[in-house]
Amino acid sequence: MLFLLGAFVVLLLMVAGSRGFTLLFGLAINLVSIVALLILIADGFNVLITTAIIALIILIVAIYMNVENANTANIAFKTSILIVVIILLITIPLEFWASAQGMGMENQEDLEAFSLAAGVSFPQLAIAIIVVNSLGVISETSVAISSGLNEIILSKPTLTPKEVFSDGFSVGNKILSTQTNTLLFNFFSSTFPLFFLMNSLNYKFTDIINDKLLVAEILTMLICAVGVILTVPITAYFVYRGVGKKTSNSVDN
Amino acid sequence: MKKNMIRILIVVLLVLTATIITHFDSFMYGNPVMKIQQSKVVSKDKSTDEYKNTDTQVSQKLTGMLLNTSKKGQRVTLKNSYYESQLIDQKYRSGQQVILAKSGKHYSIKNVKRDTVLVFGLGLVVILLFCMKFSRAKLLISVLLNLLVYYGFIKLLIHNSNNYLLIMTVITSLLISGIALLVILGPTSDALMAYLSTVCATTLAILLSVLLLKLSGNSGVHLELTDFGLQPYFSVFLSQVIFSVLGVILDETMDISSSLIEMKKEVNDVKESALFKAGINIGRELIGPLINILLFIVIAEHLNLILLYLSNGNSIGYTFTMTLSLGFAQLLISAIGIVLTVPITSFIASKIITRRAY
Repeated sequence: MLFLLGAFVVLLLMVAGSRGFTLLFGLAINLVSIVALLILIADGFNVLITTAIIALIILIVAIYMNVENANTANIAFKTSILIVVIILLITIPLEFWASAQGMGMENQEDLEAFSLAAGVSFPQLAIAIIVVNSLGVISETSVAISSGLNEIILSKPTLTPKEVFSDGFSVGNKILSTQTNTLLFNFFSSTFPLFFLMNSLNYKFTDIINDKLLVAEILTMLICAVGVILTVPITAYFVYRGVGKKTSNSVDN
Repeated sequence: MKKNMIRILIVVLLVLTATIITHFDSFMYGNPVMKIQQSKVVSKDKSTDEYKNTDTQVSQKLTGMLLNTSKKGQRVTLKNSYYESQLIDQKYRSGQQVILAKSGKHYSIKNVKRDTVLVFGLGLVVILLFCMKFSRAKLLISVLLNLLVYYGFIKLLIHNSNNYLLIMTVITSLLISGIALLVILGPTSDALMAYLSTVCATTLAILLSVLLLKLSGNSGVHLELTDFGLQPYFSVFLSQVIFSVLGVILDETMDISSSLIEMKKEVNDVKESALFKAGINIGRELIGPLINILLFIVIAEHLNLILLYLSNGNSIGYTFTMTLSLGFAQLLISAIGIVLTVPITSFIASKIITRRAY
């Protein structure tokens, strides 16, 4: 493992130069935040509130440390926060409906040695899992779209709101496809052992589509996709409002 | 505009219909399905375990009606007990549909019926896509084709047991990344260029990491902790790494190569070395966010297990070794791949682009 870590650091510094240190620093902060989240939850703090606070910190780090243009970063940050709130609002009822928290019968072997009366609310943790899962995708999408749109606006300052939105969608199309791929391939990565196990347990089709673990994975993927889709119009809206302000200011002066 | 509104309305209606149909599809189930009509708490028992976790064990009496099989309409009464933390047991509410298992004359609850919420969630994504001006057809084709390939992969995996897992993973990855690129970029030389870069970078990263892992004798990597203990451990682990990093590397190669193509279009006589440098500069900005994506996905996947370990009185160090060592190894290999992609894509793209006229 140390070899891998060493190779990563060396390669990173070779490719990214001094920027590499900033990247490592950002990753370290994210890791520490996540560890803090785990410890706080294990100590009995409310899962949802803790997750919301940690998510805020992670978004600040992920966006402001990776983006140099302040305007782009501000818009990306506003968008991401709004998206995380929306994701929470969608996830809470869907998870309540699906009851897909915790672990499944398939995990039983791993669980033999444990006291299962953990005192942690696993239904709430299921919501936290989806939020944490979405953080990276959401911050990347919002940064990509806001920087893309800002560039377009710089080159064509006379855009109307309609044009800003349609440009947003043309930038968004590619990002949506690539993020879908990322989500889908990660779904493949985490589910093929599950499918294999289901086969050896002789699951029927109806068992598979109602399986707790699989439904949890699919819901995660779908909700992250909703976040990515909504990022496009929301970013376009914020970018447009920013442009509107600037032009009215220059008229005032 | 009006035509668009009608289209959205049709999609919404279709999604609602599909959701409602799955709500009443219990006749398609082989197992008995029960709708819970009444749930009553029989007893509550607050307990503190040896690790000072306080949890409440609740027993509930559930009364419901069978929705299918020959006993349709029959009333059934069941007992269920659960911990309020609900790790593997479950609190049931009235109104919920549950799948039952019958042993002898007794019914027990096997699972919650979750197909309705699944269809609804899927419908939500489709509705949102139709509300906005995305090129839906492309996205849909790419997702469906990839799912089809994945389905074939699973079928083959089940048939051949998992001796050929790694080879099948490689073939599947070559297929799905090819499909993704073809659909997004079309059958162009740009797609071929991005494909070449993706394959080279992924292969190099995996080979380098395997070499490093072998050199260190897999120290600190608990391969036996792969999901569900599926064997052979190392192949399962590598397959998971390949699948999970592929999407991110595709994203990266497309970003870098398309920016370089733009650059060539603007400045026709741009030098190869200048293009290479520009590629590195663009790629540098991508590394951080892309590693972040995988970091959060990997950690989120293990949150349940981590908290179970922590609440069972294990130290943070031990918990992380047991739950995240594989995740971190996966993350590091992915990170190496993400970093290597930058020079590799810049190199391949600058070579090819300078030899081309626009």
